[in-house]
Amino acid sequence: MKKGYLGIDIGSISTKGVILDEQHNIVTSSYIWTEGNPIKAVKDLLHQLKESLEEEIEIYGIGTTGSARKLIGLMVDANVVKNEITAHAIGTTHFYPDVRTILEIGGQDSKMILLKDGLIEDYAMNTLCAAGTGSFLSSQAKRLGVDIEDFGHLALTSKNPVKIAARCTVFAESDLIHKAQVGYKKEDIIAGLCKSVVLNYLNNVGKGKKIMPPIVFQGGVSKNEGVTKYFSEVLKEDIIVDPNSHLMGAIGIALLAHKYEDGKMRSLDVADITFETKGRECEKCSNHCEILRIYKDSKFIESWGSKCGKVS
Amino acid sequence: MCHCGIIIHKEKNTTYNALGDKMDKIKIGIPKALHYYYYGTMWKAFLEELGCEVVISPNTTKDILEQGCKLANDEMCLSLKLYLGHIHYLEEKCDYILVPRIDNYGTFEQTCTNFLSLYDIVSNLFKTPLLTYNVDVAHKKSELEGFIHLGISLGKGKEQSKIAYFHSIEKFIKMRKKQRIQELKKLNMTNIKLLIISHPYNFEDTFIGNSIKKILSDLNVTAIDGEMITLNENRNSEESLSPNLYWKYNKELIETIPVIKDNIDGILFLSSFPCGPDSLVNELIMRKINIPYLNLIIDEESGSAGMETRLESFIDILENKKTVR
Amino acid sequence: MGDYAVPAHFLLSHIIHNKIIKPKPITSKTIEIGSKYSPEFVCTPFKYTLGTLIEGLDSGAKILIQAGGGCRYGYYAELQEQIIKDLGYECRFYNLVTAGKTDFKRIYRMMKEIDPKFSILKVLYYGSITKRMLKYMDSIDHYIREHIGFEIKKGSFEKVKAEMLHKFKMVKTHHELKKVYQKYKQEIENIPIQKPENPLKIGIIGELYTVMEPYSNYELERTLASMNFEIKRFTNVTYLLFQKHKKVKQYLKEISEYVTYQMGADAMDNIARAKELCEQGYDGIIHIKSSFCTPEIGAMPILTKVCNDYNVPILFFSFDTNTSEVGIKTRLEAFYDMLEMRKKR
Repeated sequence: MKKGYLGIDIGSISTKGVILDEQHNIVTSSYIWTEGNPIKAVKDLLHQLKESLEEEIEIYGIGTTGSARKLIGLMVDANVVKNEITAHAIGTTHFYPDVRTILEIGGQDSKMILLKDGLIEDYAMNTLCAAGTGSFLSSQAKRLGVDIEDFGHLALTSKNPVKIAARCTVFAESDLIHKAQVGYKKEDIIAGLCKSVVLNYLNNVGKGKKIMPPIVFQGGVSKNEGVTKYFSEVLKEDIIVDPNSHLMGAIGIALLAHKYEDGKMRSLDVADITFETKGRECEKCSNHCEILRIYKDSKFIESWGSKCGKVS
Repeated sequence: MCHCGIIIHKEKNTTYNALGDKMDKIKIGIPKALHYYYYGTMWKAFLEELGCEVVISPNTTKDILEQGCKLANDEMCLSLKLYLGHIHYLEEKCDYILVPRIDNYGTFEQTCTNFLSLYDIVSNLFKTPLLTYNVDVAHKKSELEGFIHLGISLGKGKEQSKIAYFHSIEKFIKMRKKQRIQELKKLNMTNIKLLIISHPYNFEDTFIGNSIKKILSDLNVTAIDGEMITLNENRNSEESLSPNLYWKYNKELIETIPVIKDNIDGILFLSSFPCGPDSLVNELIMRKINIPYLNLIIDEESGSAGMETRLESFIDILENKKTVR
Repeated sequence: MGDYAVPAHFLLSHIIHNKIIKPKPITSKTIEIGSKYSPEFVCTPFKYTLGTLIEGLDSGAKILIQAGGGCRYGYYAELQEQIIKDLGYECRFYNLVTAGKTDFKRIYRMMKEIDPKFSILKVLYYGSITKRMLKYMDSIDHYIREHIGFEIKKGSFEKVKAEMLHKFKMVKTHHELKKVYQKYKQEIENIPIQKPENPLKIGIIGELYTVMEPYSNYELERTLASMNFEIKRFTNVTYLLFQKHKKVKQYLKEISEYVTYQMGADAMDNIARAKELCEQGYDGIIHIKSSFCTPEIGAMPILTKVCNDYNVPILFFSFDTNTSEVGIKTRLEAFYDMLEMRKKR
């Protein structure tokens, strides 16, 4: 039977999964909303992946990445758990070995990875709040009564982007309301938002970094043509957006799962086990740590969150 | 860079401008930001007396602000961001840029730490050579010595520099006296009088201060600039408000409060985000005074719409109080 | 501030006769209280110390002593005193240092006020013991930092150190102190470790409060140790009190190509340390500070330049009272991966 490697990228907004074969071709992939419940999202995701398989495949490695990587790693018995920066870099260099700069804007945060000869040379992550990330753009789209899917497209029709103060979500919203009330055209406001996302990103995440081509843009926001256009305009460089750009983290971690294969076969049937987390506030000292206890099939397996290490 | 202007070629110690005219004078750039608003008059008088040409950057423009934000770290205060924007404007427009390092005028007359590190920040971020002088009175480095050092680095004699310094001081004192008389006259006005507690590099800056000045004048309010009426004879009058205060520029601002408090209707505290000394001193003063006040904090994204609302409602309160009285 | 509560308590309890309320370690409660009553964009240590003072008052303290200088620290006390009075607490507040100057006559007057039986001789005697205690603590910490990630039985270092600190509290003479120190030094050096030949080495620099108070840096050192980094840190109390004034000139000389003047607090020192770490072949540098720390913000563009020149990665953290711990972890893990990749190159 064919051997396969599963990569799961659990982000705050969406959860992505991909299965690679031994030659690193994509066998199948899936993409669903996390909706604040990573455990359920992963169960549904695995279900979908299994359904979509045309021939049976034996999973010899599972990797998890993204903000819920640790929890899901325990749940699916992953052999590799890695942060999303490394996973993204590895996934992208697989397709673009020469890439020097990866721009990434996701749902809750944004990052920049600089590479040389396929290895990470430097990276940066946003230090400020969520302004200028995916969730910010979708909430602004809703406010303007525009579908997020049409957002980028609409931005391209603007000839005169409005300047919008988007460093902080609160300021951006009040500025946006103000600009709309004054009577600016909707597409100009949208274009202005897209442009301010780019400028913000470069001013914050990209501060002091040398951005060299080839440049790959990925993460959820890379689907927005408006943002891509302004990146290329401001940087005066071509911007590559891969059709699989949203899967790069999952692909990267699947590649790592192959690399660190431990010979153990894993199952996609976790969808049927019960996996629970119980949170409670510890009262033993005034730290009031949030203790998270994790149960697999009603059996306690691990606990997190204790600062003193004495409580489980 | 797309600034057109004078391009300077350097050849064998003689400078030429773009048209090829010989320029004998050394061109010195002064950024119109931060300590320009304290010492600008002095610098100009001093440097011109020593035969230099002084180039002062223009009032803050949108471009200057944007360049400043691009160069600065996110957490730097707006005033420092503007300063870097002004330096950027001066790049390639002069032979030297003047960036002094002013640490203190005595143990209890210190400046904000930005003024300590300014010279080193600029010298690491920009290419134009810098002119500087150091004032650190607590360690026996006086302003006079600083200016002499400045003169010497321009190839001038010690005595000549000393005289130029005294002339510039004279000019400075004259100007301050005039400003003070003008500002004090405003106390006789009968409309709403608002004391502005703001570093001059904020209130006098076109980006930060202008919209506020305009809103106030539209509301028929007399704005009294606290910095301009700093009274030498009232030195240390701030002690009743904050005995341990050691920041020179904040002292100079708040010492006017006890002196004119019976002649004003309210106080406007205006700071740039996130000013270190103001964050503490203004908070303390607000807790101690018994005068209506408004605290406005400006950053690069503050829209005038928000400021207008806040100022208007504050002035409404003051007017109500005045009519009741 | 971290373990330094031990020597501070030791000194005060021997020189004044008043009852001393030992500050509780900082917890999320402290921060909640501190943030609630602090101005909005003051630097974070203000919030921590205000929280600690209020907690002290709640446990019955009547006299508060505060000291600090160098930047905004020096003005903390005056505002904190006002805030505390506005909250309705009745207490006496003593600020030992003003405008960054230590005026010994003034301190003596204050101490006499606090405790009429206050004696200079006692201060000199116990002060010298305390000084020695600080030196011992810092030298033990230095050793631990380089080895803690590699202990075979996790937690051994922390356990022995806690025991040592407990014994330190009870010493009476120089001789006793030295004996305790030597005993535990040996014990700590005997803790079995398993160190890879060439571990990733990392230097921590930054604003002094955040560097020294583990709670405020989200236990950065412990996290780094668990990731098998070998750690070097510069700022400690011994440095600040006894070495800084001598080091400054040397530092300025070493970095004359980058910096001409002192920049407030430890900003210039940190640039010199960054250069030192680069030259000593450290794999990476982590710079930490609390949000809005002005001197360190000024140092940052220069630090970036130094590290670019030497091609050593530097990671900046700006901690607030509500920084996300997950975010820190992700950045640190990625930093580790990156340094490992660079090392293999």
